[in-house]
Amino acid sequence: MRVKKSVKKTLKALALGLYLAFAIAPILWIFLTSIKPPEDIYTFPIKYWTEKPSFDAYRYLFGFAKFSKYFGNSVFVTMFASIVSTFFALFSGYALSRFRFKGKGFLLIFLFFTQMIPAYLLMIPQFQMFSGMKLTNNLFGIIIIYIGLGATFSTIMSKGFFDRIPVSMEEAGLIDGCTRLGVLFRITVPLLLPGLAAVFSFSFVNNWNELFTAALFLDSDAKMTVPVALYSFISKAGIQWNVLGAGIIVALVPTMILFFFAQKYIIAGLTQGAVKE
Amino acid sequence: MPGSKQKKGAQAPFSSPEMRPHHSLKKKSRRFFFLLALFIPTFSVIGFLTIYPTIRGFILSFQNYTVFNIRRIRYIGLQNYERVLQSGDFGLILWNTFVWIFFSVLFQMLLGLGLALLMRKPFKGRGIYAGFVFYPWALSGFAIGLIWRWLFDGSFGIINDILIRLGIIERGISFFSDPVLAMVAVITVNIWYGFPFFAIMILAALQGIPQDVYESAWMDGANPINTFFKVTLPFIRPVLINTVLLRVIWVMNYPDIIYAMTRGGPAKATEILSVYMINIVFYENNNFSKASAVGVIIISILMVFTTFTYLVTNTKRMEL
Repeated sequence: MRVKKSVKKTLKALALGLYLAFAIAPILWIFLTSIKPPEDIYTFPIKYWTEKPSFDAYRYLFGFAKFSKYFGNSVFVTMFASIVSTFFALFSGYALSRFRFKGKGFLLIFLFFTQMIPAYLLMIPQFQMFSGMKLTNNLFGIIIIYIGLGATFSTIMSKGFFDRIPVSMEEAGLIDGCTRLGVLFRITVPLLLPGLAAVFSFSFVNNWNELFTAALFLDSDAKMTVPVALYSFISKAGIQWNVLGAGIIVALVPTMILFFFAQKYIIAGLTQGAVKE
Repeated sequence: MPGSKQKKGAQAPFSSPEMRPHHSLKKKSRRFFFLLALFIPTFSVIGFLTIYPTIRGFILSFQNYTVFNIRRIRYIGLQNYERVLQSGDFGLILWNTFVWIFFSVLFQMLLGLGLALLMRKPFKGRGIYAGFVFYPWALSGFAIGLIWRWLFDGSFGIINDILIRLGIIERGISFFSDPVLAMVAVITVNIWYGFPFFAIMILAALQGIPQDVYESAWMDGANPINTFFKVTLPFIRPVLINTVLLRVIWVMNYPDIIYAMTRGGPAKATEILSVYMINIVFYENNNFSKASAVGVIIISILMVFTTFTYLVTNTKRMEL
C-alpha cells in the first residue's frame, strides 16, 4: 500500500514536472539564444550552451536599434490606456451592479455581444476615422483605441467584482449621510482593490501585446511600440536570432512580472464567471 | 439576466428609506443624471470605437476603397463579396479555420484538464508552481509565434535537433514548407499558449466541488476512474462547455501566432479567416474594402456563434 502510494506520488510529480518543462522550455531557449554570440547560434549540431555568454544583443537592441524608445512608447501607451480603462470600468461596473433601471437586461446582452468583436475587425474603419482627425501615427490615437478595446470586457469584469461586495456596507454609509460618490470611493473602492487590480492587469496585458492596430496606425520609427518594432524586425531581410531573441525577451518581461505579482487577482477575474460562490 | 426579470419602472436597489421609489421628482432626476454620468465614459467609447466603426466597416465593404483611389470612392455592390467568395481559396481558408479551432481547443482542453487535476490537491509551492506554469496566458501571441518559429527552424531549430537525437528523423525537417506540418506547428504553439487558460478555469471549478460528494462515492467503493466520470465530470461540465465556447470564438480571432510563424503559408496552408483579412490589409495595396467584406463575413459567423454561446451559457449561469 505504501509502495503504491509513493509510486503514485512520484508519477504525479513527474507529470507536474513535464508540464513545467513544457511551459518554460521555449522561453528558456530563446533566452539562451539571446545571450549566445552569433557563431554559437548557427552551428551544426546545435549548441545547447554557450561558453561565452554575452549581452551584446541587448546592447545592440538598446543602442543601435533604439529599443528603449519603443519600450518607452509601449509603457506610456499601455499605462495611460489601462489606467483610464480601469476608471471607466469602475464607474460603469458600479452602475450596472448597484442600480436597477429600464433596459438593463438589454444593456448586459449588448455588452456580451460587443466584447466578442476583436480589435482587428475594427482597425480599418478606425484608421479612416482617425486619419481624418490626424490621429494616426500618434500615440494618443493608439491610447484612445486601446481604451475602447478594453471598455466592454473591463465593465463586465468590474460588475462581477462589485456583485461580490455586499450592498449593506454602502447602505450604512448612505444612512450616515455620505453622498453616493463618497460611499463609492470611501467604502466600496477599498474593498474592490483586488478587482481593480484584475481589471487593470487585463487591460495592461491586452494593450501591451496588441500588434495589428498599432502596426497599421504607427508608421514612423519614433512612434513604434514594442510589438510593432518586433514586427518590423522580421520584415527586414535576414533575422539575427540573438537580437530578435533579446527583443522578444524584453517584450515579454513586463507582462511576465505583472502576472507573477497579480496572479491571484487575474485568476479571480478570469474565473469569476465560472464559479459562483 | 437580472434586468429582464424586473417589473417596469426604475427602482433603487438600496433599501434605505431615502432611496425608496416614492421619493421626490428632484431626487429621481438627480439619480438619473448620476447614473448617466457613470455610464457616459464607457458607453461613449463603445459607441465611438466599436459600434460606429462596425457600421462604417459594413458600408466600406460595398465600396471600392484602396489607397490608390481615395478620391474616387464609389459603391460597387456585392463585388467585394463575390471576389472573396469566388476566389478558389475561400473554401480552403474556411477549412483551415475549422482545423485550427478544432485541434487547438481540443488539446488545450485536454492538457488543461490534466494539469488542473494534478494541481487540485494542495502541495508545497503550488502557488509558485502556478505562477510558472500559467504564465503563457499573459504573453504576446506574436512574440510567442516568433519564439516557436525559431524552435521549429529547419536548420538550427531545437525541435529538429531533439527529433534527430531521439532517432525519429534522420535530418532536419523544414516544417514551414510542408502544408500539413506547418499546420501542426502553428496548432502546437496555440495549444502551448492556451492550455493554462483551461487549467485555470477547470481548477477553479474543481475547487468548487464539495468534498462530501467524493466521500460518499468512495464509501460506495467507486474507483478513481469511476469517480472521475460519475462525480468530477458532471460537476465541471458547465464550466467546460462555457470555456470551450468562449475559447472557440477567441481562437478563431487570434491571428497573432500564425502571423508570426507562417503568415498563412506555405501556399495558404495555414491561412485562417483572420490572417486572410490582415494579409489583405497589409499586402494587397491596402484594399480596405475587400478586407472589410471579409470582416463582415467574420462578424456574421461570430454573431451566429455568439448567439449560440449566449443561449447555452445563459441557461447555466444567470449573470454575465
